[in-house]
Amino acid sequence: MPDTGIEVRDLHKEFPVRDRGLFGPRTTKTAVNGLDLDIPAGRITGLLGLNGAGKTTTIKILATLLRPTSGTVRVDDLDSVADARAVRRRINLIAGGERMVYTRMTGRENLWYFGQLYDVPKRELRARIDELLSLVGLTQAADTMVERYSRGMTQRLAIARGLINDPAYLLLDEPTLGLDAPIARDLRRVVARLAAEGTGVLLTSHYLAEVEELCAHVYVIADGRHLAAGSPAELKTATGSLGTVRVTVPQVPPAVAEVATRFGATRTPADGGGEILTLRSPDHMAGPLAAAIVGAGGAITALEIKEASLEDAILALTDGTVPGPVVLA
Amino acid sequence: MATATAWRTGRATTLRTWHMTRRAYPWTYAVGTVLPAALTIALGYLGFHAIGGGETGADFEKGSGTSAYLAYLAVGATAFQFTVRLILWSAKALITEQRQGTLGALLIAPATRLPYLLGFTAFAVLSSIAEFLTLGVVIGALGISIPVASAPGAVAGALALIVAVFALSVGLGGLMIAAGEAHISQNTVFIVLGLLCGYTFPRDYLPGYVRWLAEAFPTTAAMDVLHGTLTGGHTLTDLAPRLAISLLLSAAYLVLGVRTLPYFERRAVERTY
Amino acid sequence: MIDATRSAARVFAAESLKQHRRLFGQPLVVFSMLVWPILQLATTYYTLRPVATASDAAAHWPLAADPHRLLAFLATGTLAYAFFFSLVQSAWHFSFERTTGTLELLFLSPAGRLTLMIANGAGALLQNAWLLTCFTTAALLGFGTLSVASWWMYGVVVLALLIPAVAWGAFLNSLLVFSRDSAFLYTVLDEPLWFVSGVRLPHFALPTVVQVVGAVFPLTGSLIAVRGALLEGDTLGALAPTLGWLTLLSALLLAAAAVILRVGEAHAQRTGRLRLA
Repeated sequence: MPDTGIEVRDLHKEFPVRDRGLFGPRTTKTAVNGLDLDIPAGRITGLLGLNGAGKTTTIKILATLLRPTSGTVRVDDLDSVADARAVRRRINLIAGGERMVYTRMTGRENLWYFGQLYDVPKRELRARIDELLSLVGLTQAADTMVERYSRGMTQRLAIARGLINDPAYLLLDEPTLGLDAPIARDLRRVVARLAAEGTGVLLTSHYLAEVEELCAHVYVIADGRHLAAGSPAELKTATGSLGTVRVTVPQVPPAVAEVATRFGATRTPADGGGEILTLRSPDHMAGPLAAAIVGAGGAITALEIKEASLEDAILALTDGTVPGPVVLA
Repeated sequence: MATATAWRTGRATTLRTWHMTRRAYPWTYAVGTVLPAALTIALGYLGFHAIGGGETGADFEKGSGTSAYLAYLAVGATAFQFTVRLILWSAKALITEQRQGTLGALLIAPATRLPYLLGFTAFAVLSSIAEFLTLGVVIGALGISIPVASAPGAVAGALALIVAVFALSVGLGGLMIAAGEAHISQNTVFIVLGLLCGYTFPRDYLPGYVRWLAEAFPTTAAMDVLHGTLTGGHTLTDLAPRLAISLLLSAAYLVLGVRTLPYFERRAVERTY
Repeated sequence: MIDATRSAARVFAAESLKQHRRLFGQPLVVFSMLVWPILQLATTYYTLRPVATASDAAAHWPLAADPHRLLAFLATGTLAYAFFFSLVQSAWHFSFERTTGTLELLFLSPAGRLTLMIANGAGALLQNAWLLTCFTTAALLGFGTLSVASWWMYGVVVLALLIPAVAWGAFLNSLLVFSRDSAFLYTVLDEPLWFVSGVRLPHFALPTVVQVVGAVFPLTGSLIAVRGALLEGDTLGALAPTLGWLTLLSALLLAAAAVILRVGEAHAQRTGRLRLA
């Protein structure tokens, strides 16, 4: 089976809504309104948007839990509706904030159970269970009943469950929601490693720092429709989201003034004498600017860096500051 | 003064339960309490005609004092369902509060527990009337008529049964909240009472030592009075000793239950923390 | 075909472990599947004794003449009822997987839906019924009332109980997974089941209309087969019509389960709600 990735074309999803009982007026709610997505193998793709934008609905359609109203979803050239069973073997879903495991079994037994349902080859299952338990730090607690686990442990087990079938495509719906910081960090490392090893990943998250760290490509949606797509840096540039570097210098000799002009930095007086050179740029310019100032014979008393923010970019897109869809590459 | 407060508590509880139940009447619950009795009576009816040919064995007449098997069974099945219903309401009152999260509020209120539980019992008795009527329809439809040997005796028997079940419920309710468990305890109590206390068959059928065990329950003597004054052809005077035993035992269970309830309530609160 | 069988076997193994962990040694199982049925058996026996000891009783129903045979009759009824009712309870429990979220994970996996329903029921049945089965077997042997035509009729008894029960369980599971109000179903299948299926009364004692209603429940057919084989010395030939009906009923129940699963899942995929009603 060729690893062609997940291809979503013109996806629409409408839910019938009954307002009042069996005989009330029937309306439809449109959750997804013409989406095209590509989630190739070996890449982490982000799906961003405000609450109600259609992210979870989209992920559930990809997971075959929901059926599209129209449009196609193909996973490695398999249709997600007609070939649902084959698709299910190749994917898995981890939804954060949910701890969907069986409390009356041990951690190991939970993984074994799902391994059976996914028909993971017997030879591999045992080793994989050990590997996953070690990955999520549950080796010691593997043979304890899940009802004795702490919340964090249950969430870690849920993550391991999501990897039991070594999926070709991993769908992550806010996976670090409610996780302690160290566990969240470990999960991010795992996801990055999986992608490096060839797994295609779709990630939705409200933690934009996480998205920026992990995703090579991001789709931004609102009301079930595209707003923009591109790498985090491209999105920041396109929406004018810029990082800020402020360098405080005690004096501005002509050479340093020339550097400021060259870089396009603004100059403002600093409290207590000297000047602040402020440079706004989507790129990481702190190093080059500081080196240039020192090279021109200037001194630096303070350096402040504020990175370009994906959050600003998303906000600009979703509140209409940047008009129209901005599709890049 | 204390009586007035007790009356207020009891009345308030009855009304509260009435309003709550009226708003969300658990139909499955009602069906679940009428149906077993109706089916037991139907079972007896069919057995009586198809197997017994309209007659019963000699030891039944000896043990029950009557050959009116169907009437005996109808009284017993109805009384048993009433017992179940009463226990479900009054014994489970506290654990229901515990599950709803309102037990704490109840425990810190200055009202005493007995009027509160009596309020539930009053509600259960009143609401059972609808179910009695339904069962009455079934009994009438099957052509069963229930003789009344002594009307005052029957009333006394019914009251003794109510008191007996209430007395058992107080202690049972305490045990339930301390254990945090109702399902196993209640069903076990139902089945044991149904087997031992002579509801649907004469207690003579049971082995000797089991009959002695049954005497420990106030419901046993109460059922003797009820059966005796309806189908058994006895007067209240004849059965006065049994009535007295039932009431004495009920008093003992009530005292025990009331004494131990504070202890169980403390255990219940500690358990949830 | 071999692959499908093998993956089905793995689903069975998985569900068996799950049910074992859930049920084994639990006080509720010991009470609901042993203590209560035995006490209820005694109560029913005593309740029926007045009519079973009537002078004409033996003429109407030969079994009634011997208290041990009457007890054996009721005991087989208790056992079979426990089998079938335990599946009502486990289907009720299975429907709670909807709230815990694990149901969604089951539908996410490639495991066969019908296989899951059957495996869940079979796993629960095994865990629930082994204790009572041992007890009843011991009791029947102890009573000395067994009258079996040939040794392999025991096999027929086992199959006549297991297969319809598992089909019934699969059907209930699929129904309860997709219905919103499971409480009502539970009530309807509790008391009336023993009445219409002839658990506590011989068949001839039930009115025709009740017999017709009862025929729809696999418990009824199972009881006729089990009692006939164990207590009346019926041969395979004598029980053929009953067994044939049981087979047909089981097949129908499984087919109905498959349809409900397909329709229910498609509905859930369209509406996002795991409910048919």
